[in-house]
Amino acid sequence: MQLTHDYIIVGSGATGAIAAHSLIEAGVNVAMLDVGIEDEQYKEIIPNKDFISIRKEEKQQHEYFLGKQFEGIPWEMSKVGSQLTPPRNFLTRFAEKYIPFESDSFKPMESIAKGGLGGGWGLGCYVFSKPELEAIGLKESEMMKAYEAVAANIGISGAKDDGSPYCLRDLQNVMPVSELEQNLNGVFSAYDKQKNSLNSKGVFLGRSALALLTKEKDGRSAVQYKDMDFWSDKDRSSYRSWMTIDQLKGRPNFSYHKNCLVLKFVEHNAGIDVIVKRTDTNEEQIFTCKKLILAPGVLGTARIVIRSFDHKKDQLPVICNPYCYIPTLQWRMLGKEIEQNKTSLGQLVLYLDEKKDNFDVGMAALFSYRSLLLFKLIKETPLNFADARIIMQYLQSSFTIAGIHHPEKGSSTKFIRMMKNANTFTGDILTGQYILSDQEIKTNELRERKIRAALRKLGCQPLKTVHTPHGGSIHYAGTLPFNSYGEEFTLYPNGKLAGTKNVFVADGSGFNYLPAKGLTFTLMANAYNVAKNALKNE
Amino acid sequence: MENKSVFIFEAGQIGNYLLGTAIQDPEKNTYAEAMQKLNIQFSDYEQMLWSSMMKGKRRMAFIDAALALKDPNNNTRRKIFTMLAILEASPNYTSYFLSRKFSIFYLLKIIVVGIRAVARVVVGMVIVKNIKRKCS
Ligand SMILES: Cc1cc2nc3c(=O)[nH]c(=O)nc-3n(C[C@H](O)[C@H](O)[C@H](O)COP(=O)(O)OP(=O)(O)OC[C@H]3O[C@@H](n4cnc5c(N)ncnc54)[C@H](O)[C@@H]3O)c2cc1C
Repeated sequence: MQLTHDYIIVGSGATGAIAAHSLIEAGVNVAMLDVGIEDEQYKEIIPNKDFISIRKEEKQQHEYFLGKQFEGIPWEMSKVGSQLTPPRNFLTRFAEKYIPFESDSFKPMESIAKGGLGGGWGLGCYVFSKPELEAIGLKESEMMKAYEAVAANIGISGAKDDGSPYCLRDLQNVMPVSELEQNLNGVFSAYDKQKNSLNSKGVFLGRSALALLTKEKDGRSAVQYKDMDFWSDKDRSSYRSWMTIDQLKGRPNFSYHKNCLVLKFVEHNAGIDVIVKRTDTNEEQIFTCKKLILAPGVLGTARIVIRSFDHKKDQLPVICNPYCYIPTLQWRMLGKEIEQNKTSLGQLVLYLDEKKDNFDVGMAALFSYRSLLLFKLIKETPLNFADARIIMQYLQSSFTIAGIHHPEKGSSTKFIRMMKNANTFTGDILTGQYILSDQEIKTNELRERKIRAALRKLGCQPLKTVHTPHGGSIHYAGTLPFNSYGEEFTLYPNGKLAGTKNVFVADGSGFNYLPAKGLTFTLMANAYNVAKNALKNE
Repeated sequence: MENKSVFIFEAGQIGNYLLGTAIQDPEKNTYAEAMQKLNIQFSDYEQMLWSSMMKGKRRMAFIDAALALKDPNNNTRRKIFTMLAILEASPNYTSYFLSRKFSIFYLLKIIVVGIRAVARVVVGMVIVKNIKRKCS
């Protein structure tokens, strides 16, 4: 079957959704090709109540808290995606089958869901600094306008405080900050008292900028503080990429095609053929378009580009922020009752900027612990379950978790490689290696030590530091690095894939550097610009 | 596949060990359903540990304590852990899991429980060693 479109966008994640929105607003015809797995099990059965009311009243709560197959009772956390709650599990469903990845040293999380990984992201938004944008290969002047446009579209809340230079900068389109929960409020008050000494060491603490509504917007309600953020999107206050897709579906110039796994593209004089293998029928199908925008995530784009260039190169660089988390005990919260109405999101962020130049900044997002349920914490103790339950119930309110991201750049020991494999759905498999140098490990350890010291000063006693396998940060970039020379397997700064006339890449494939701060807001802003660039020679 | 009545019996024993109270039927049934779906398989050694644990809640506590330290991923613990999750996700037992305002005296209880937990490890080590010897 042949279908013809002006623009085809591959992928409905954070980047594909924003690129599609820009194109539709400009009035052109857009088809989106996506695998588009959706949650069909849980959405309808989770009641629209707060966490405590559900826990006290709902008899069938185990169906969604533990999962219908009890998949939410993790025993060995080796599987990618096992940290997701059952209602978010669809994000990684069938990824192993359709986009397999194999490696001992690199365990990325990928999604073929409608809305991509943006269906479960933590909403942390950061406007990168000028030196960070330059290191990535992006122009600050162009990005600032794009950040504003995306903020106006998705809705961002935040505050002006010591953290602002690292997250909001001068962003105008910002809603008032959400109400801070008790646990983190303790840390914030401690910071006020220790501020001078911490600042002198390059430590700054501030309220997170979150893609969370604190005022009604476009039919989405303001945050209701139900503490169900990891389980459901009933009030739609958290921005999820699928919301943009649902909104666009009502527009006459947009069509969404699910079950379409894009294999590769072929560019010729008349346009571009996009070759798809359908996941419902296993049949091949060709879509044609004038311009193609790839947004299937960094690893997804690598697969498509390697195939489209006939495997001229099978190995590409990759960048992923190293990540670890530190559970701490905040003494002042011991034995307290946790308030009924709160959010589970990381409402505070600690930054370590020793050189005070807003570059290579370390970052720790702070979370309290409740809605992920106590039994998972109990398992982490070296005690028998019965006694551990009594102790952890008491300690629960005083847990503050710091999730640390390190800034990262590429090297020859960090790469992905495509291999032929007749046993997979696509006839190939992506493999990879991710190894840090001794110097990088040392730098990261030193940064972690300084963050632990800062946490202690804030009254949070670190219990241990848990390093996740590389890939665990879920921030990926750098496979087709930006440069202006037009070499194959690179991107021009405007997002165009070198060696093609009309193929653009809207995800993070071009980023030459990854600040520790979450990249997704910048990914969306870049996708906005890439769509505008694709429109330029219309 | 073991039959449901075996799982119902196990659920009662584990629940009693975990919360020190008799467990209601809905949670027992959920445990049986979980066991059917998860199909946890035991080695001969794990089977012997499990049979010993089923003799009573004190034995279960000792063995669980020893395993928590030396062999935390032992499959016998997986069964107990599953029941723990089921109890937490039930409105009948939320008070055992949700945070509340504890009096300062509760801290004393926590200290006593901590000491008991260590004592349980010591006894548990002896029992587990014995079972291991019998098994090999
Ligand atoms: C639990 C969690 C928390 C996170 N928290 C944060 C945070 O707080 N801040 C932050 O900045 N980032 C966060 N992230 C990361 C963030 O979610 C990702 O950076 C972002 O969603 C990536 O968007 P993307 O569009 O590049 O790709 P993806 O989200 O991976 O979307 C890819 C899309 O392409 C489709 N696709 C893939 N391959 C093909 C193909 N061959 N053919 C057709 N379609 C295809 C998929 O169906 C999907 O729709 C978090 C992620 C997770 C999972």
